[in-house]
This record gives sequence, structure tokens and C-alpha cells, in this order.
Amino acid sequence: MKLRLPILVLLVALLLAGCSGLLPGLAPKPSQNAGVLALLDQARQESAAGRLPAAGASLERALRIEPRNPVLWQQLAQVRLAQGEFPQAENLAAKSNALAPEGWRLRAENWRIIGQARQGRGDQEGAAAAFGRMDSE
Amino acid sequence: MFKRLPPKRKFILILALAGLVLLALYTAYLDYTVRTRFEGKRFKLPAKVYARALELYPDERLSPAALQRELGRLRYREVEQAPQEPGTYRADDATLELISRPFVFADGPQAPRRVRIAFRGDRIGKITGEQGDALPLVRLDPPLIGGIYPGNYEDRVLVRLAEVPDAVVNGLIAAEDRRFYSHHGIDPRGIFRALVKTASGDGIQGGSTLTQQLVKNFFLTPKRTLSRKFTEMIMALLLEAHYSKQEILETYINEVYLGQDGNRAIHGFGLAAVFFFGKPLAQLDDAESALLVGMLKGPTYFNPRSHPERALERRNLVLEQMAQEGYLAAAQLRVAVAEPLTVVARPPGSSSPYPAFLNLVYRQLKRDYHDEDLRTEGLRIFTTLDPEVQQAAETALAKGLARLDRQRGLAPGTLQGALIATSPENAEVQAVVGGRDPRFEGFNRALDALRPIGSLIKPVVYLTALQQPESYTLTSRLADRPLVLQQPGAADWAPQNYDQQFRGQVSLRAALVHSYNVPTVNLGLALGVPAVMANLQRLGVERELPPFASSLLGANALSPLEVTQVYQTLAGDGFYTPLRAIQAVLTAAGEPLQRYPLNVEQVVKPAPLYLLTRTLQDVVREGTAASLKQYLPPAVEAAGKTGTTDDFRDSWFAGFTGNHLAVVWVGRDDNAPTGLTGAAGAMTIWGQMMADLQPTPLVLTRPANVEEDWIEPASGLLSARGCQGAVELPFIAGSAPTESAACGPGSVGSSIKSFFGRIFGR
Repeated sequence: MKLRLPILVLLVALLLAGCSGLLPGLAPKPSQNAGVLALLDQARQESAAGRLPAAGASLERALRIEPRNPVLWQQLAQVRLAQGEFPQAENLAAKSNALAPEGWRLRAENWRIIGQARQGRGDQEGAAAAFGRMDSE
Repeated sequence: MFKRLPPKRKFILILALAGLVLLALYTAYLDYTVRTRFEGKRFKLPAKVYARALELYPDERLSPAALQRELGRLRYREVEQAPQEPGTYRADDATLELISRPFVFADGPQAPRRVRIAFRGDRIGKITGEQGDALPLVRLDPPLIGGIYPGNYEDRVLVRLAEVPDAVVNGLIAAEDRRFYSHHGIDPRGIFRALVKTASGDGIQGGSTLTQQLVKNFFLTPKRTLSRKFTEMIMALLLEAHYSKQEILETYINEVYLGQDGNRAIHGFGLAAVFFFGKPLAQLDDAESALLVGMLKGPTYFNPRSHPERALERRNLVLEQMAQEGYLAAAQLRVAVAEPLTVVARPPGSSSPYPAFLNLVYRQLKRDYHDEDLRTEGLRIFTTLDPEVQQAAETALAKGLARLDRQRGLAPGTLQGALIATSPENAEVQAVVGGRDPRFEGFNRALDALRPIGSLIKPVVYLTALQQPESYTLTSRLADRPLVLQQPGAADWAPQNYDQQFRGQVSLRAALVHSYNVPTVNLGLALGVPAVMANLQRLGVERELPPFASSLLGANALSPLEVTQVYQTLAGDGFYTPLRAIQAVLTAAGEPLQRYPLNVEQVVKPAPLYLLTRTLQDVVREGTAASLKQYLPPAVEAAGKTGTTDDFRDSWFAGFTGNHLAVVWVGRDDNAPTGLTGAAGAMTIWGQMMADLQPTPLVLTRPANVEEDWIEPASGLLSARGCQGAVELPFIAGSAPTESAACGPGSVGSSIKSFFGRIFGR
């Protein structure tokens, strides 16, 4: 009898951990694919080192493996945003949104990228609208 | 001083002096020629074109056979024991161990790596490195699929003297020019010997040194005259005066002509080693080196593929000459002479196995590069070709056309076709087939055949309607009654449905699913033909198209490539991405010159596109493409559209799955009727190709502003789950019908259901 409570707690914890990827608002693992995860990691390192074209190329490699993964499109949008390629950043974030089901947390982040991209090209009104969408996601 | 000489003598002296001045001037001119040519770029290097690099990762769908096919394309050598050098592998039932080749990619050099791949059925199970460590990702070097050649079609792989095997250098000296290291460009003793032999009837002998041979190939035309021989000798002396023996030898080894591959000329020992032995020059043994040296006397006459016995005899003669000169010990000679010919087979026919794809690559490159640079700078071009998709496409088209010829009772070879396959999300072109003979380098139907697109236009008409949710939904009613259009300057036009029937009224969805012509014309006229044509351009057609009423049924001609671009935008979630055949271009030295990044531009909002794509899936599920189920399981949920033109001249199918988009055209070059509908012709080829590729299902993401409602198909009114014949259809928020059918939510039956629903807390 004494053992039951800890086991129950453990089971609940495992269950929660297992489901967390499915719950809206929580970030799911960006991919189940080891190759894609390796490329994502490589792209993050390249981005951090300021090697943005290389980061873009790594993300494109990842997209060849998982072309419908919205996380990869979002990362590419972020790279383009950092490169000052505002129209591409906006379009890539929109592409990520087109692939991300309703309720995914990354949708809000995509609207933030779209807002920043619009700010970048001087469209304040459009940016405000995008930030508004960010809050409503 | 001339005054003292008699006039005759004076004249001779002046003539002699003038001759000397002229000779000096001529020598100076030759000197200039020799030096500028030798200092500058000595060789024109063709651009090298590579297919996509295969990525290996755990859980990838890649069978052991598919990996071995790729290694075959890469000319990796299978070995019995554990592989020891790059470019070799060992395979057993469920594992494959290889050492990858070093390669300079667009993102930098990649060192060779020993990896072990364990398969789990038709998938990669685990990849491990040298220390047994699990690897998430391994990229193989990409297969070379062709080149873009200089006008004279010379191809070569440059080598440095340091990578040339001693046997090649020694063989050259023993067989062609024994006193190479001691003479100054010409060899009087050699000339004398040649003269004696020629005079004594032993056949005409060259007596040229290696330097003279180089001069002949490098600077002079192949005309054989005495004055040319004289020029050759002066230039040889000049070359020797300016450059070292090593430099002359290295240039010679890279220059010489050693064979022919279609219209591609094989120059230099570096390329000849790959062309004849399938390995780098540095790896050739004594016998292989001697074979190439022996071929210099007559690359066609001593071609080891067409004349193996002659080539073997010639090789052994060179080996004996090497032994005479002390370059080979007796034991080495015995081993080398006993060796059989190790020449590798090569793909028959053309220089590239994929001429139609290369054609597309070349056109895309021409936008950014001068033709001369492409043909001479040795650029390295990384493309998107997927050889496995290309193989499936070629096979499906060739077999499909042969089958259709038989079915239609046509002479074999009558029907022609074209196929383009791409990756739907990133618009990378995976395969191009330009006709039923995929090796044919001529007319490329995939790019250049302009044909009326027939019903392939219809999705654009319906998309234009669905983009106006306040006016059109999938349940909108369209008139399907006899229609006569009177246009000034043209005969009256009375469009017909394929089955010549009129149904009075049909839903917008049914009209697309069953490809009804008359309702489409009615819809298009209501929308305005220019609006539909403008949408076609937004989806990616650059050509200006006349907005005739018949344009609504696809009277306008497009190439398969242009059609692919349009369907690419539909498959790519409404984002336009220019079709890409090139990923990156590097210089010969491996410096990145240009990347072709993935750019997307949203041209269609997600909601109307979702409605359209769902309907294109219904075309395959229950409409004009329903017979695709003979090829693909329903779970693939492919989306597609058939196209047939007047009198069955053109048979089209365009469609996509989760990971492949393909457009197929079938017709005749003389534009005569084929008797084939889109479904009976092109679609069967599309289905066969997709079946071979085992595509992933097309899973759509429903946009937030799209809801699903149950509809009674006959009336287009709201229905409910469980009502007879009710279908669930997507609607853009606020556009769903509000009126209820007899069995719908406002009906008596529904009230009872919701009553029970409330009681049981449904």
C-alpha cells in the first residue's frame, strides 16, 4: 500500500510529460526526426555565430527532409528577419502559419515575426495589425 | 661597306639580312603567342553538374537496394572485407558499411567518414560512426550528372603532376620521348631516326618530342605541312626556354586527347582515368597507366572498349618499353603484362543520362551567367535532381506510352509524352522527362511543347470563385443548360459537357469534381474571364494569355513546365515559389558563387485554397480521377485534375501527394487526335510513377477561419451527421448555408436529436 502513492504520482507525471507535446500553448518537440533535429541545432549555432546564410542553408536541408514542419519555416523566417530580408521573413512566417494548426504556440511567434518584418519595411499600421493577431493567438 | 661589293653579292646579302629580320620578328611573334597562352588560363573547364546529395538519417524510408543504387551512381566500389579507402563499401543483408568520399559542398568541405548503416526493412534503422557512436545525419557526395561544355566539347579533369602515378610519366617517356629530360624541345637524333625509318619504308614516323606534341595540340591546326613543322620546332624551343620540364609535362598530361563519349571529347589523363577505369588517376596501377599511354598513338584505333585485343597488345608493348628503359623490374613487368583489361562499362549513348533536366538547369543558369563562363570556368553546379524520382518518371512514361500505343492500336512510338516532378513545398524540380526516349538530347517537350491545357485550367476558375466567399461556396448552384456564346468576329460557341448531357443545375463542387464544362463557362463568365486569367498569372504563368471565353476551358496553350508552376503554387499552400533546378553554384576552387535560396510569396489566402484542395482530393476520391485507385491506396488522399482537349489531342494530368507533385502530358508530335482522355492517358502514367515512389499522404492543415458543416448534396442546404447522403464540407467562416434541409439542424428530426443530446450530455 505504501508504494502505491509514489507510483501513482510517477504515472501522472509521466502521463503529463507524454501529453505535454499535444497540449495547446506548450511547445512540442520541433521534430521526431534525428536528422532534422541535428540540422536545427546546427542552424542555431550558425545563427548565433552570425553565419546567417549558412544557417539558412542548413534549414533548407532540414526542409528537404520535413517540408511541412512549421518550426523549420519559422526558423527560416527568423534567419531572413535577422538578415533584413523583410518581405521574405513575412512570407516565410505566413507559410509557417499555413502549416501550423490552430492553437499552436508558434503561431503567435509567427505574427511577431510578421509584425517586425512590417516594421522593418516601414509599414507601422500593418505591424500593429500583426502584433494584434499575436495577442489573439 | 656595301659599295665595295659587286651588285649581285650586295643583293644576296640584303636579302639574307631581311630574311633574318623577318625570322626574328616571326620568332618574337611566336614567343608572344606561346607566353600569353601559357601564362593565362591554359584550359577551358566545363561546368560540372551534380544531382542532389543523398541525406541518410534514422527512420528514413530508404531500402538497402535504393542505397546501393545510389552508391552505383556515385561509382563506389563494393569490397569483400571492411572498406579501407574512401569510395568503397561492403554490404550484407541488413547492414552496409561505407567510407564516404571527401567532397566540397556549398556549405564547406566534408571529410571522408566511415559509417555503418543498419536497415530495418525498407527503412534505415541506425547509423553508427567509427567508434560505434549513433549518428543523426550523414550526407553522401552527390552524383555527377553531366557538364556544360566549351564549344569544342572538350572535357577534362585537371591534375597536378604530384598526383600523376610514376607509371604514367615513365610510360610517356619510354614510349613517346626517351630523351625528354635532356633535349631542348626538339630532338635531332629522334628526327634523324625518323627520317631514316621513313626513307627505308618502315612507315611514316613522327619523331616529335612531347614538347612538340604539346605545341601541336595547343597552338597549331592539325594541317601537316613543312612550314608548320618548322613553326612547331621554333615554338617547342621557345616553350622549353621559358618553362620547366615539369610544367610542360603537367600541361601535356592535361591536354592530350584520349577518347570520345558521344560529342564529348575526353581530354587529359585525369578524366581518362575516370572515363575508362572509374577511379582517380592517382589510383591507377602500372598496367592501367600503360594502357592510357599506349592509346596516345590512336585513341580510336586503340580504344579498349571497342578494340580490347589491340589495346591490350599496345599496352604490353608500352610496358616492355618501360622495362627496357629500366622503369619496370622484370617481376613488375610479368605482373603487369598478365593483368587483364580492367576497363569499366559505361552508360551507353549520351554524355549525360539526364539531358532534359540538364536543359532546364542550363536555361536557369543562363539568366545569371555568361555562356562563356559556364563553359570554361569549371563551375560546380549543385542541382535538385533526385535520380530515384527521375528513374520512376522515365520508366512510368516509357512503359505507359508503349501500353497506350498498344491499347489504341497505334504503331509503336506514335504517342509522345512529357513529365515533370517536383517537391510540393519547396518547388525543387526532382525529375524532367522530355519524351519517350529519356536519353534523347533534342526537342524537350517538358519545357518546349506548347499545348492547350484543357480542364487543367478549371481549378483556377473555381479558386477565383472561392476567393469571394460572400458570393460563392462549394454548395453554390451553377446553371448547366444549353449555352450559346456570340462573340463579335468569331463563330458562335456552344460549349458541351464531356457526356453531352445537361443537368439543369449542379453544385460548384460537383462541377469541378466531375469536370463539367458548361457550368464552368457560366461561372467563369460571371467572374469575368480577365479575372480568371489574372489569377492564372498570379499562380505563376508569366506568358500573357488572351481572355477568350474558350480560355475558361483551357484553349490557351502552356508548356508542361508552366503548368507545373501553377500547380506548384496550389500544392505549396498558396505560396508561389519559382521552380528551382539549382541549389548553389561554386567556383572551380570551391568558393560559393551564388546560392538560390528558397523564396516564397503568398499569392492565395489559406482558406479558399483549402476549399479548392479538398475538392481536388474529391476529384481523385469520386470524380474524373477515381480510377487512380488502381494505382494508389485511398489513404494517400492525392489531389489532382484531369485535362482533355478538343478531339482528344492532348491528355493531361496534374496532381500532388504529400511529398511529390507531378504533371504529365501525352499527345502526338503531329498534333493528331490520340483518342485518350486525361484519365485514360496521362493519369495512368502519373499513377504508375506515384505508385513506384510510395508517396506520403497529403494531409491538409485546416485554416482557423474554415468550419465544417454537414450538407445535403442535392439541395446544398444544411444537413446533419447521420442524415441520408449528407456530406461534410468546408466553408469559410460566415459563408455556410443557413437554411436547413428536411433532415438538417432546424428540422424536426434534428430537434429530437438535440433533445436527446441535452438529456445525455452529448
